[in-house]
Amino acid sequence: MINLADLQGNILRGYTKKPHVRYLILEVAEPGAARRWLADSVSGRNGVPQITSGDWGKNKPDTCFNIGLTYEGLRALGTPSASLKMFPNEFVEGMTARAVKLGDVGRSAPEKWPAPFNEPKRIHLIATIYAEKVEQLDVDQERALTDVKAFKLLDTREGYNFPGDFVHFGYRDNITQPRFEGVPDSQRYPDRQPKAPLGTVLLGHPTNLEGLMWRVPEPAELGHNGTFNAFRVLKQDVAGFERYLDHAAFYLFVHPKGGELLPHGDEEKIGKGPSRHTALREIVAANLCGRWRDGTPLALSADAPDPNENLTNFDYVGVGDARCPHGAHIRRCNPRGGQIVQRIANNSRRLVRRGVPYGPPYDPANPYDPAKPYDGDEPERGLLGNFIGASLGAQFEAMSCDWLNLGLQDPRITGSNDPISGTNDPGTSWFDLPLKSGGTIRLPGFPEFVSTRGGAYMFLPSLAAIQYLADLR
Amino acid sequence: MANDESWLDRFVNKLHKKPKPWFKYFGAYILVPIWARLTPVKRLPGGARPAIQPGDNVQSMMNLIMPLKRENRSPIGRAKAALAIAENRDQIFAGLDNVGTVHFARFVIVNDNICMFSFYDGDFTNYIRDFIATIGGAFNDVVKLVEGGDALIPCEENVEAFIQWIHEHDLYQVPDTPTDFLRDQEDLNGDKAVSPVNDDLTLLPRKLVLQLRANANVSLGSGYRAYPGFSVAQVRKKLELGW
Ligand code: HEM
Repeated sequence: MINLADLQGNILRGYTKKPHVRYLILEVAEPGAARRWLADSVSGRNGVPQITSGDWGKNKPDTCFNIGLTYEGLRALGTPSASLKMFPNEFVEGMTARAVKLGDVGRSAPEKWPAPFNEPKRIHLIATIYAEKVEQLDVDQERALTDVKAFKLLDTREGYNFPGDFVHFGYRDNITQPRFEGVPDSQRYPDRQPKAPLGTVLLGHPTNLEGLMWRVPEPAELGHNGTFNAFRVLKQDVAGFERYLDHAAFYLFVHPKGGELLPHGDEEKIGKGPSRHTALREIVAANLCGRWRDGTPLALSADAPDPNENLTNFDYVGVGDARCPHGAHIRRCNPRGGQIVQRIANNSRRLVRRGVPYGPPYDPANPYDPAKPYDGDEPERGLLGNFIGASLGAQFEAMSCDWLNLGLQDPRITGSNDPISGTNDPGTSWFDLPLKSGGTIRLPGFPEFVSTRGGAYMFLPSLAAIQYLADLR
Repeated sequence: MANDESWLDRFVNKLHKKPKPWFKYFGAYILVPIWARLTPVKRLPGGARPAIQPGDNVQSMMNLIMPLKRENRSPIGRAKAALAIAENRDQIFAGLDNVGTVHFARFVIVNDNICMFSFYDGDFTNYIRDFIATIGGAFNDVVKLVEGGDALIPCEENVEAFIQWIHEHDLYQVPDTPTDFLRDQEDLNGDKAVSPVNDDLTLLPRKLVLQLRANANVSLGSGYRAYPGFSVAQVRKKLELGW
């Protein structure tokens, strides 16, 4: 059994009762002072907020506080070069060097990222505060930044979990997380996927690929029980997304096989009133994600959302295979037990996801102005995403470049990108909606709904590792 | 570092426009080494570059050149290499089947190098990692005969180092266009071009010469196809072979 007190709490816990999240993006000012700050963050002395571990004991913390370090951050703190060399390439190079692989091209290219992400080498540490109320974020931020000699605040990013776990684009998120061997089962929605070996999320433990171990940076205090996080600022074009649903609904309205997707008379079953157009929009939205916007998985209920349906107890075999599009977002990210090209990769690329929306909710009662071709007047909104796994290369990157984009896992989607978060170009993009008869209707013309506005690869050290770094001379 | 005005540059510019027989020797054995010292060029990493359009990332090429250990540079050593492949034949077939993204792979011995040439779909690191997970043992048998290989065995426990090593032994694929070639050099040097000289396309052949000094073995282009790229599974599905 793993010692939860040695892990940072955000790895295995979602902090669901603390919807306000603020990221402090920091640069080491003086290494000595920064190391003292780290020591204080472990002990909670001298006013620095205490790192929240995975073991809360009896007292729930009022706010939670966690940190991640970039490669430059580890270097700035004085980590010995022998240890630095043991970190994986992708982490050493940093997220911006992996842009093409991650689809960060065009308007998502790192050269277009705003400050502080335009100077990636200055980003050393990202501290995250989670709280019930915004005021608590302010208090903890002040405590974290009291010693100006330790860190310089480059910038902040802030998000808020909308009630019901809805995210921009209107889907319910935060449903699926891997469950881990040797960890008390705390997931809200346990499912029937095999438990993931601990090495999926922590260095120094067996991984899902039999016999394969990821390199653990030495000394063991530094690497063991640490993990990696891809922090991503993902801008979502909500108006554009809703506009696309409109177009698609019109297209299906007149499509000769549209009746197969939605038999005439069944409109109200979708739960959005009698309008056929509105119902078709919802059908498209559900297919793109693999879940209806309320979370109901298509694999269990393809005809209509069903609030009584189980949220996670499904697989892409048998009926589940036929009901959920092969190119749907959640199926691309996690093909579960379904047939895929890379036979050994089922279940091997799983990620812990900790995301929180930023920017104001999109107001459907006050929708976009169709006369305006772009959402230039819309405030920026999106997702502050954290994709956590023991190997950035084998999990986050592998998922991003071969599955979300390209669609290599299934010949029926190869050459297409994820309809929601893929690097799409309206001229070439497509998505196939499955029909009960076995055929498909191909939707063309997907623009890029999600663009990258920043990010960094972070190492999430264990508490022992933070103490080790604090003790460096 | 050389600049526009240096005598060496002017000299070289003149010479490479009007090559004379003696210049070939002078150039190859005296000039290029001096020049390489003045303008250090780093070795470019190998392998296919991911395409900007993700859909183009199929049928990429790997040209892996692994020098046999000194003690294996003999008919006996080469025979050992041949055996290592032959003995793992079934594993290799099973591996190809399970990895699912490799069109074909072949092994060749050239001048005491054991070479593996393959065409694969998707990302290079995923391809190698999946291969290690599937038939790591076969890799171990080959790599143990090869210079620098001992430090990587067993590859299952040295995944990152092994992938990096393969990447380094995969031939640099010289792009077909000068701009792509310059971009590779810029990427390697971090940031943007180092000096105005390096940006001048008319001087490209000189940069290429220096690069081919740093990367003596290269692939010219990234393979030429008679038809657009398809993934293994697309081909298998279309031919109804199962995928
Ligand atoms: C702004 C962009 C994105 C949006 C709006 C989005 C939305 C969603 C939604 C609504 C779900 C279903 C909820 C759930 O099952 O918990 C989901 C699941 C998931 N997403 Fe995303 N996502 C985005 C980007 C990404 C990216 C970039 C990745 C990975 C690189 C990713 C990986 C996943 C994974 C692994 C799942 C769980 C699938 C499963 O296990 O069934 N998502 N996403």
